[in-house]
Amino acid sequence: MRRFRRWLIPILPIPVLALLAFGLTRDVQVLPSAIVGEAAPSFRLETMSGDTLSLAEVEARVVVLNFWASWCIPCRQEHPVLTRATEVYKERDVRVLGVLYQDSQDGAERFMRRFGGGWNTVLDPGSRTAIDFGVYGVPETFFLDAERRIAYKHIGPLTWDVLQTKVDSLLALTETALGAPDES
Amino acid sequence: MSLEGRKGRRAPLLLGLLFLASTPHAAGAAAQELSAAELDQRTAEVAAELRCPVCRNQSVLESSSGLAREMQSVIRDRLAAGESPEDVREYFVGRYGDWILLKPEPKGINLLVYLLPAVALLGGAGLLVRQIRRWTGATTASGGTAESVVIPGGPAPVEDAAGRDGDQPAAGTAGSLSKEEEDWIRRQMESVH
Repeated sequence: MRRFRRWLIPILPIPVLALLAFGLTRDVQVLPSAIVGEAAPSFRLETMSGDTLSLAEVEARVVVLNFWASWCIPCRQEHPVLTRATEVYKERDVRVLGVLYQDSQDGAERFMRRFGGGWNTVLDPGSRTAIDFGVYGVPETFFLDAERRIAYKHIGPLTWDVLQTKVDSLLALTETALGAPDES
Repeated sequence: MSLEGRKGRRAPLLLGLLFLASTPHAAGAAAQELSAAELDQRTAEVAAELRCPVCRNQSVLESSSGLAREMQSVIRDRLAAGESPEDVREYFVGRYGDWILLKPEPKGINLLVYLLPAVALLGGAGLLVRQIRRWTGATTASGGTAESVVIPGGPAPVEDAAGRDGDQPAAGTAGSLSKEEEDWIRRQMESVH
């Protein structure tokens, strides 16, 4: 008992130090998301071209839903990735869809004219859809499967590798699901 | 019965009907006025409990970021639509996770945040009390009874486990005799008789 007490004082700080050390291994930039794996919140919003677009009516096996703004520098950085995705996956039932985040339509139109890209972007007055999706800031991208569940959320500028991996895996999952009845 | 009389008797009935008809409207208007004031207060209360996703260490109420302002507007709209503050909090937790709450819910691993300080405080207080008792015990012991244990010509003082010699008895053992000493005293007493 006496020996145990002699060791007690030096041992006591160890759990605290271990907790602090564990904290150092965590990236403060990685934010939790409660929505991944859940059904994507539905929305019906006006597009930049003046039409109305509803997520439920979008026909695609994979939807890449990108929250962006013209004032956002990382959005410029990831823009070529999205442009490439629309070209590469044109025939594979993948749809890129933008949601404008706290930005003016004029600014967004100038951005699109300057950097190109023909995909639809919906306006989100009051950031209601962004809050529904639990968006922290821009850019944030949600990968939605055929059933419009949020399969993956990417915070920060997209890279081609990330986009390709996620889209390909979702396409493969859809193909497996579609192929399953034939195989049985 | 005259027409006047009939009218006179109907008057309270009509008044009663009028009162019944007007009360719900009056009550509704009052509730609306009340809710307008309450709505601001409730919005502020809920907003104060939510973390601003942009500023991180500020509440939605304190933050002046665009997203925090939009969140306040969402809170207000939801409360106005009849949701309870709990419902609104749950909505945000559903979107952003428990992270959005500035004060985590006392459940699961979060309980540690609430229990550990209390456990540490009680444990520390316990250790302190014990140590103080030990110190005061040692002072009393060295002040009087220690010497009386050493009997001239008696058995050699017994060393305690801490390695002290018999002149400085350990705290808590002051005044107590070992079996050997007791036997020696008993023999001495018997020899006297």
